[in-house]
Amino acid sequence: MTDHQAEVKFKIKPYRRIIQLLVLAVLLLIPFSSQNPTDWAPSRIIQGQIPAPATFNIFGDTWCFEINSFCLANPLSVLDTWLSAKVIYIPLLVAVLIPLCLTILLGRIFCSWLCPVGFLLELNMKVQQVLSRLGIGRNYPLKDYRYFILSCCLVFAFIFAVPVLSVVDPPHTLGRELMNIFTHHKISFIGTALLLSIVVMDSIVSSRACCSKLCPSGGGLALLGKYRILRINMIKEKCIECGNCDDSCPYELAPMGLVSDGNFNWTKCDNCGLCRDSCPAGAIEYTYILPMKN
Amino acid sequence: MGKNLMTRRQFMHRAGALAILPVLSTHNATPVIRPPGAGPDFPALCIRCGKCMEACPYDSIRLLDLTAGALVHTPYIAPLQTPCYLCQQRGDDGKDRPLGKYLRCGEACPTGALRRIVNDKQVLANVPEDFKTAPAELNRDLCLAWQYDSCGECYYNCPLKDKAMLDRPPDYHVAGTGIRPHVNPKHCIGCGMCNFVCPVRKHIAESVMKREVKLTLFEERYAGMVRNVIGRAGDGVKLPAVRLRSL
Repeated sequence: MTDHQAEVKFKIKPYRRIIQLLVLAVLLLIPFSSQNPTDWAPSRIIQGQIPAPATFNIFGDTWCFEINSFCLANPLSVLDTWLSAKVIYIPLLVAVLIPLCLTILLGRIFCSWLCPVGFLLELNMKVQQVLSRLGIGRNYPLKDYRYFILSCCLVFAFIFAVPVLSVVDPPHTLGRELMNIFTHHKISFIGTALLLSIVVMDSIVSSRACCSKLCPSGGGLALLGKYRILRINMIKEKCIECGNCDDSCPYELAPMGLVSDGNFNWTKCDNCGLCRDSCPAGAIEYTYILPMKN
Repeated sequence: MGKNLMTRRQFMHRAGALAILPVLSTHNATPVIRPPGAGPDFPALCIRCGKCMEACPYDSIRLLDLTAGALVHTPYIAPLQTPCYLCQQRGDDGKDRPLGKYLRCGEACPTGALRRIVNDKQVLANVPEDFKTAPAELNRDLCLAWQYDSCGECYYNCPLKDKAMLDRPPDYHVAGTGIRPHVNPKHCIGCGMCNFVCPVRKHIAESVMKREVKLTLFEERYAGMVRNVIGRAGDGVKLPAVRLRSL
């Protein structure tokens, strides 16, 4: 009993929140800084009336980000263009290298640490609690369509030579809408409809329904990180079977089941660390597991 | 048997989902003006990251909407609203200063869908044919300079003045005339600036009869003449007098 209480654990959640807020702030600040401050269009350039335009060298969002020509890109974007154009552009390959290595080693931490839509859905959990108290349940069973949608997009890209994965990627949709709002003061119908349906589905169907069952890029990242080395692990001796971890898991994966059987869906776990933070006994810890052992 | 039915139903569901694909047509019905540096393989390479839109210093680049089918969210330029300024800033002395070493949209593009073009007037005037947007063409029957010897906005505003837009055709030897604009399609990159500044537009012609149409001082100067040329040309004519070929 004493060692349960004496153990003041280092928690992951605050750090994750800071990073998520930072990403959201960057997504808002980039288009805000790059927009043209004045409405110059009716002036004539011969009269020298154009104000000096903003020229910051930070562009992009979570799909493809660039700061002073140092570029980072989502690993799926290179797959998409490679299938549609049938050529590989070397600078894009270089941009993909760091995110790809991180995904292969650490799993789809993009979803838990960087994705702005995932952050909004985590905030949406409070709304879900209110809705479930009102009797609007979230137990509609939905199958896992992530790989089906992903393969549809990739096959479409291959046959029609048009990369379409970026149209349905939720975090990029949010970033693109923000760009459109600040630059041209308008929103696109398809993007807004997609984002709204994600939030509504998250509140009504099931918790993180989009992330774990529909999101094609989340599915692609999960496949890339299938043999990752960073995984949560449960120490059987310490577990007091309180069930806190099962309640805290946003994907309803039941991490306590790690003790009883090995049927844990690793492709759905995004290493967010909520179960680890919620465990009062410190039984859940991150470990480095080589893929050979599985 | 029951098992078979289930799989058949599943198969029908998936076939139904696949039937949506042809609806999202890849072929765009209306031609669009792409940013400079877009080659014929542009639709296959563009990952719709939106960085060119953010990089554009004059916010000329917009994204296509749902009517473009599968090409939704790819960039385009609407020269009648905002032309491409070719990343130049014209100072009070009338001289252009380049904003950066390359055209900024091509510099920001992560996949090479928009090629990098060096921001130098000699280079910009000699871009290969495949990477131009669409050359401009001039309708002399509508042109105020050719008809009334009174305009020349396209010549003065062209970023590639004296290369893409000449003040008179090479074989024109009439002395004592004003500007006689002439497009040289070999050097025209298709930025749409002439399209943007040309005063031969419908709302300017209508302003003569309608008091509620507000014009700038610049537009008021040309309103009467614009009404005359448009009235003479008839209804079916494409406006303005200088336009990009694919518009």
